[in-house]
Amino acid sequence: MLAVRAGDLARLGDLFERHQQPLYGFFVRITGQRTASEDLVQLVFYRILKYRHTYRDEGKFSAWIYHLARKVAADHFRKHTSKAARDVEPEVVEALPDHSPKPDEKAARNDDLALMQSALSQLPDEQREVLVLHRFQNLRHDEIARLLDCSVGAVKVRAHRALATLRDVYFRLRRERLA
Amino acid sequence: MNCERIQECFIDYQSGTLPTADAAQIRNHLKSCLTCQREWSGLQETLLKLDRLPTPVPSGRMAAQFYAWLEEEQRTADAPNPFAIARSRLDALIASWLPARPLFQAAAGLALLLGGIWAGSHLLNEQPSPQPTPSAAEARLLAEVSDLRNRVDSMGQFVAYSLQQQQSGNRRLQGVLTTLDRSETNDRVLAELLNTLAFDPSTNVRLCALEALYPHVGRDEVRAGVLAALPREASPLVQVAMIDFVAAARDHAAAPALEELTRSLSIDKAVRDAARRALVQL
Ligand SMILES: [Zn+2]
Repeated sequence: MLAVRAGDLARLGDLFERHQQPLYGFFVRITGQRTASEDLVQLVFYRILKYRHTYRDEGKFSAWIYHLARKVAADHFRKHTSKAARDVEPEVVEALPDHSPKPDEKAARNDDLALMQSALSQLPDEQREVLVLHRFQNLRHDEIARLLDCSVGAVKVRAHRALATLRDVYFRLRRERLA
Repeated sequence: MNCERIQECFIDYQSGTLPTADAAQIRNHLKSCLTCQREWSGLQETLLKLDRLPTPVPSGRMAAQFYAWLEEEQRTADAPNPFAIARSRLDALIASWLPARPLFQAAAGLALLLGGIWAGSHLLNEQPSPQPTPSAAEARLLAEVSDLRNRVDSMGQFVAYSLQQQQSGNRRLQGVLTTLDRSETNDRVLAELLNTLAFDPSTNVRLCALEALYPHVGRDEVRAGVLAALPREASPLVQVAMIDFVAAARDHAAAPALEELTRSLSIDKAVRDAARRALVQL
């Protein structure tokens, strides 16, 4: 990043290679939209370049990149506030890699993951965000706290609540399916 | 630890980031507490399922778009930027104005800032969008424009005008800057610059117009035009610049106007000081 800040634009390609997948995963899980998420990743790199002079070599670059990503996501949500736009696209679940030999097992497992995907999308935004940052983006609680500008304790409480909600929603959905 | 505290630690316990003593405490508690056992197993299953969710993989389109955009950015960065030339002139000019003029440092900073924003929006408009769909490109542009507006708004303490005015101000600024690069300037252009200096609503545009007039400071009608605009000028930044302008030409015709300024209590003290210094110079 320091090279990019100094004007070496080619090095932005290195940053892209390193961060495109995690960033894409972040946006898909936050927005539930695959196609839009590709554009959002692009926007993050656009802003990295645009705001490169504001980057301070303190802490991890990943903290800064998620700082930008959260703003991009917030802008996206502001523009698409309708519920329809925020519903999870079905292919998010359908596009699972498949290693299961038996069709039954595969169906059951995909069903189960679809339920989890659906439960995750039903979480309140701020709970889902903490969970995604921690479980999928592998940010530590103290890193998330700095990102959200709150205390580590507050992040832990939020993560705990998010997980409890997720569990409740997931088990409820599973009961509904069995019924 | 009570049950509630125990359950709050489950996430850290599960990820193994808990201090050994705390982890041991939780292990012991789980042996004896049925409620927490149920919580723990439900949570473990949830986390297991959550972690099994597939990692979304972007399509090749995303990388292709990114590299197309990056290439374009590099091309733009490598090309000589016409604005940089004008800006370096402005820089040099402001540096020559600088001796003991803190007010002018502020003006210089503002001018460069506005210049930067103008250059940014200018390059943005010229840059082909990497988006294949015009609507997405448009949305992006809109986003950047609103961003630009925020940055302009944040300088409200200096210059407050709306985005609309800012945009047309940019166009006017561009007009003034192109005259900077012209080798010969005819009378019509000089008249336009004087007109801009007297009537343009933007402080920055007026400052630039004054700069563009500097090479012609030796001409009587130019100095007369600047002197005529001086009493009407409301911005201390521009007032000081105008005073320096006539002082640099050692124009004795400016003395009455300057004396007037030193006596006026309604104007900025920095302006009165500048007028006093200019009178000594004359
Ligand atoms: Zn207990």
